[in-house]
Amino acid sequence: MPDIGGSDLFVLAFGDILHYFNPYTATLFLLALLFTGLVIASRPERQLDIAFGGDAYYAKMTTVSEMRFRRFMAIACGLASMGAMASGDIFNFTLFVSLVGITNVGIVSAVRIRHVLNAAYEYGIVAMVATLPLFGGAALILGTTGTLSIQALAAGGFAVPLVGKALLALGVIGEGMAPFYAAKAEMFRAPGAPYVIMCSLSSLLIFLRVVEIVITI
Amino acid sequence: MLIISRISRVLSNFQHLVALFAGACVIVSLIGIFSLPLAFEENQLYPKTLDPASSLYPYDRGGVPFGPTEIVAQYPENSPYAGYVTTYLTPLSQYLADHTHYLGTTIVAHPGGIIDEILYNTRGLDTVVETSILFTAFAIASYLYRRREEE
Repeated sequence: MPDIGGSDLFVLAFGDILHYFNPYTATLFLLALLFTGLVIASRPERQLDIAFGGDAYYAKMTTVSEMRFRRFMAIACGLASMGAMASGDIFNFTLFVSLVGITNVGIVSAVRIRHVLNAAYEYGIVAMVATLPLFGGAALILGTTGTLSIQALAAGGFAVPLVGKALLALGVIGEGMAPFYAAKAEMFRAPGAPYVIMCSLSSLLIFLRVVEIVITI
Repeated sequence: MLIISRISRVLSNFQHLVALFAGACVIVSLIGIFSLPLAFEENQLYPKTLDPASSLYPYDRGGVPFGPTEIVAQYPENSPYAGYVTTYLTPLSQYLADHTHYLGTTIVAHPGGIIDEILYNTRGLDTVVETSILFTAFAIASYLYRRREEE
């Protein structure tokens, strides 16, 4: 099996669940950690719309309660992506990914702008539907190999079906929309910069991680 | 018009998102159906047997009451005490057990209770993640509900 992540730097054993870092996942984990710290420390941006042809501008305010809720969801999203980076178990990975999808919807659901909510609604439907291929892929891998540990699967000796990997990747794409950022652009128009960027960063991270998993197992 | 700009035009409209994803699901499912049959691995790590003749059916999860029961684990060396219930007490549970007489009645009602701990040691942090998913979903739902009240 190709080992694209590099050799293990650190393994933390919780019973049957191994959490491990290799240079690849450690980099992704540090990125998530750094950005979660930024989300905690920073204050939301204030969007300004200039009215053309005059000196006037509109300042969009973010209320404190909305800011609090979105910051909470962004921190939860960061924690979930950190968990997805460190997890060495396919089922736990899928759980963390679905948590990322839910918190992504939560980050934008607090916004009161109609077109942003419309986009978030479409995205929420995809995130809900994507749990089927996500958990279906994990279940197929468990059924055909008898184990869920990524390290055991990477050691070889198991015939992981291609369709299981494809379903897993499709589920992660649906939860995070990672390669289709154009579709998420409507959501990113919501004011409140650091929280909204957490959506895109977390989906990018889980997508990169699932690529590593699919190639490794 | 280039075909790639046509594709990107379709992709840029978020209202096509659900249809696109559904199409991808259909394609992968069709590939899955054509790749059948997939062999079921008999040597499952987390075995489950259903015995319709058992009086405990369908809750008979295997094991012999008051007898030795072998627990299958992926890494047995990581959980040498798998199955010994009280070895899974968390520091909080241990503190409660040392200082009160009532842990037995609250054992499943606080985080780190015995039931949590068994699941935690044998198969997973997943129980923790599952409850946090539920919690997050409820937080979003209650926020949306209260926002409607405010308006």
